[in-house]
Amino acid sequence: MFRNKLAIAGLFIIGSLIFAAIFAPYLAPFEPFEQSLRGGLKPPSLEHPLGQDKLGRDNLSRIIYGSRISVCVGLFAVSISLLIGTTIGSVAGYLGGWIDELFMRIVDIFLAFPGILLAIALTAVLGPSLHNVILAICVTGWVSYARIVRGQILTVKEREYIVAAKAIGANPLRIIMIHILPNILSPLIVEATFGMAGAILVEASLSFLGLGAQPPTPSWGSMLNEGTQFLLIAPHTTTFPGLAIMIVVLGFNFLGDGLRDTLDVTKD
Amino acid sequence: MKITYGERKGTSPGAWILFLTVFFALGLAACLTESKSDRDALVIGLESSPTNLDPRHATDANSYRLTQILFNPLFKVDSHFNPVPDIVRRWENPDQTTYIFYLRKGIYFHDGSELTSEDVKYTFDTTLDPSFKSPHIGAFEKIVSIELLNRYTIMFTLKEPFAPFLMNLAIMGIVPKHVAEKRGSNFGLQPLGTGPFKLIEFLPDEKIVLRSNPDYFKGRPMTETIVFKVVPDSTVRLLELSQGRIHLLQNDIPPDLFPFLDNRDNLKIMTKEGTTYSYLGFNLRDPVLKNKKVREAIAHSIDREAIVKYILKGLATPSSGILSPHNWAYEADVKVFNYDKAKALKLLDEAGFRDPDGDGPGVRLKLTFKTSTDHLRKRIAEVIQQQLKEVGILIDIRSHEWGTFYSDIKSGNFQLYSLSWVGITDPDVLYYIFHSSSIPPKGANRGSYLNRRVDNLIEEGRTALDVSRRKKIYSEIQKILAEDIPYVSLWYTINVVVMDKSVHGFVVYPAGDLLSLKDVWIEVK
Amino acid sequence: MKGFIIKRLMLLLPVVFGVLTLVFLLIHLIPGDPVDLMLGENARATDKEALRKELRLDEPLAEQYLHFIGGAIRGDLGMSFHSKQPVIELILQKYPETIKLTLAAMLMALIISLPIGTYSACKQYSWVDNFSMFFALFGISMPNFWLGPLLMIVFSVKLGWFPVSGNEGVFSIVLPALTLGTAMAAILSRMVRASMLDVINQEYIVTARAKGLSETDVIFKHALKNALVPVVTIVGLQFGALLAGAIITETIFSWPGVGRLLIQAINTRDYPLVQGCVLVISISYVLTNLITDIAYSYIDPRIQLR
Repeated sequence: MFRNKLAIAGLFIIGSLIFAAIFAPYLAPFEPFEQSLRGGLKPPSLEHPLGQDKLGRDNLSRIIYGSRISVCVGLFAVSISLLIGTTIGSVAGYLGGWIDELFMRIVDIFLAFPGILLAIALTAVLGPSLHNVILAICVTGWVSYARIVRGQILTVKEREYIVAAKAIGANPLRIIMIHILPNILSPLIVEATFGMAGAILVEASLSFLGLGAQPPTPSWGSMLNEGTQFLLIAPHTTTFPGLAIMIVVLGFNFLGDGLRDTLDVTKD
Repeated sequence: MKITYGERKGTSPGAWILFLTVFFALGLAACLTESKSDRDALVIGLESSPTNLDPRHATDANSYRLTQILFNPLFKVDSHFNPVPDIVRRWENPDQTTYIFYLRKGIYFHDGSELTSEDVKYTFDTTLDPSFKSPHIGAFEKIVSIELLNRYTIMFTLKEPFAPFLMNLAIMGIVPKHVAEKRGSNFGLQPLGTGPFKLIEFLPDEKIVLRSNPDYFKGRPMTETIVFKVVPDSTVRLLELSQGRIHLLQNDIPPDLFPFLDNRDNLKIMTKEGTTYSYLGFNLRDPVLKNKKVREAIAHSIDREAIVKYILKGLATPSSGILSPHNWAYEADVKVFNYDKAKALKLLDEAGFRDPDGDGPGVRLKLTFKTSTDHLRKRIAEVIQQQLKEVGILIDIRSHEWGTFYSDIKSGNFQLYSLSWVGITDPDVLYYIFHSSSIPPKGANRGSYLNRRVDNLIEEGRTALDVSRRKKIYSEIQKILAEDIPYVSLWYTINVVVMDKSVHGFVVYPAGDLLSLKDVWIEVK
Repeated sequence: MKGFIIKRLMLLLPVVFGVLTLVFLLIHLIPGDPVDLMLGENARATDKEALRKELRLDEPLAEQYLHFIGGAIRGDLGMSFHSKQPVIELILQKYPETIKLTLAAMLMALIISLPIGTYSACKQYSWVDNFSMFFALFGISMPNFWLGPLLMIVFSVKLGWFPVSGNEGVFSIVLPALTLGTAMAAILSRMVRASMLDVINQEYIVTARAKGLSETDVIFKHALKNALVPVVTIVGLQFGALLAGAIITETIFSWPGVGRLLIQAINTRDYPLVQGCVLVISISYVLTNLITDIAYSYIDPRIQLR
């Protein structure tokens, strides 16, 4: 089915991304920091298939190395968010009562900030750097994971066999591992996939605004930022990094869509 | 007719769409209002916003250039950097410390009141008042007394002979006492002077609207309205220029775009060698940068020729010191630091910064480098970053918006930075920049440079009225400065002005002054 | 109904307080001394003291917090450090521009997505359908800081149809609105299609067809009206996403709205202004969600009002 084909395409894209990130030094024809002032802003040529940037650095190599930044930021941000979200979500769901109510209010508060607003404000205040970008993404990112975990726990909590198990005095940890974990795995994986796409977009946006990666780090977002001054004469400096971002985000979206269908998850 | 399940009553989507369209229409109506006079105005694009249009406070280039056309000073500077009378009709110098100025009659402020010696006295009294916090106080502190001899005559008495006195007077436009007193600190946002143009509107970070002064004592300007539009983004600035929404741009143009601009047949380009001096500044209080060998190493690690050739596309000339070759006091025979990586490495070794792993470019040293958000400056910073990396110096580039960057620099909050000096005319400017008493917040000696010999020489230079003696003094100063390297001299930029073909009468000044705007007119097609 | 509104407003209060608190804490997250950062370490001690007093940084945290909350409720968000004007004034000047842009973007999104979504649903699996849905995915993934400059190159530079930036004349809003609205158009297209598909197969449509009504009548008079209900909700909820996207779009096109004001405030380290902008944008978002909720329940009385 069409859906499945897209998901496979997504998998392929993500695979290439990870491959590029890991094997960047072998794949990139040039050093990403190697300047060649003579070749500043030259359009694509045989030697430099994607052209050269403002300092004559090879665009292709920079984009390949840029994948490392995207993958790193994505992985770190999503894993940390997952960890925080799952912990808070489980505590809220399991303990219930006023703790749960408090949790819902806190979630509401965090959700009151549209999109990357909080991320922008945080990096503005903490200072521009990739570490702060990851931090900023985590601060808002944990919420969706927490909600999934909490939701699942609430559903399962009331089921008979849980009540029975608790009555017998079974170890709560065991209950979590055996009954709850398998059920939350699927929606969490789907959410995490979309989360990767989101994290990469947020990092690119922040770097574009100058709040993320600093020169000469080749983040795709900061490459786009630099490219805007040369739109008139060297659009290739903008086109290719942007294309990279779009393809990667597409890939994660495809994959997420496909996974969602396959794992038959009902979104809340 | 039974309403079956599924058919709901409620607000139809049509209503929503109508609602949104009305909103949009209102928005459209708001957008369509555009004042007529703005449409015929001469529009000039600026990369950053002027901050203060009070000549007693203006320091950044854009603010200063605007005060030049809003006000008149006692003297102006001609193309050979000599003072010529402006508001002054004639003057006398009875002895070395006394100046008597006879002012022209019939010069009126934009509110109709006549300029008298009282306004001149007020301008300088307030500038010298420490509580007024004028950054130009240093230029006039030799003044002991200002006496009003009559309505149009004023006498300045100095503490001691001061050679640059007349040149310094050229930077200070005269403000109207009655208005400036009333407006107090708001005068910087609502200036009122005698210049060829008067201020209509000042929206910081957006635009400044000027209208011609029909009663200007040197004749009415050719253009009715000038709008200065603040457009920080260079691409947008250039696009607006090529589309005719901006008529003139001076400098701040990415050199790579010149081929593009050359090809447009609605634009023309004018260039002129400038006095704008670009440099790398050191904080001499910093424990690492205190060491002269480190500074020399850095100077040897920068390949200026390559930057000028490939990044600036030849629109600059490498410089050896702060005074340009056109300046009468210029000294050519000073120590120059050519691009020599091996020498740099050796100097670093001698300074005690050895390579940690013995071979190859390991990191020996880390420094922060502050610059503005101007793209060209950032690009140059990255090149320097790479060049310094090759000798083991790791640079962390911090770029900040102009206002923030400038205040950091002014307060000494940096290790390395790059900036330019605009409008260097009299060599006495060295007092303002390198004398030990000019260390912030008193002056512009931002790196806290301290050299007693230079201090003495500068002081001698300003009291010696004989030109040939001054030349000798400044020659020695330049040699010492080249040795001490408080700055790494980078280059002198060439002023480039790109304008619509319909703009006539513009003259490019070495310091980028906009004085010719009075004679500029747009050809109506 | 009224009870519902009041209840929702009550729930709003803790959220608003939470937002205020978070925004207040922002300025205290600054590493190092904010006064040092704003004035420079070597500034005169008297100037530093004056600023510290002005920002009330010498008072205990609780007092500062109360003052901030009190001020915010009264509408006093402090003074902008860079331009020395009240923050609230600066924001209110630019706020209408952001609203203009957001509404224009929504309109664009609707104009694009409604026909596409409807057509795709009616002609399911046609090449138009597949093509549009594929493109919708692109629209969602395309970052607006890429689309914006791209549109600029094509329509402003090469074709010269639209001005590049700023806010002069009607045409300046087109490119920014298009940039901002594309992602939403993509999402809406999919939603409209899904919703229409849902509705088309329902009983009353079959009934209407059986009664002999023309296809146009069926689609426009019956199906569309009902299909658009969930879409309307999404539009309301997406408003927040538009606000966030506006920050970047305004920066790209130099559109004089609150988003660009925020970025400028960040660049000038004007923390009171940063606080103010973040606050205003968040509160707008919260209010929009509330209005959407209320509107949704009003439109669709079937919804259970909890």
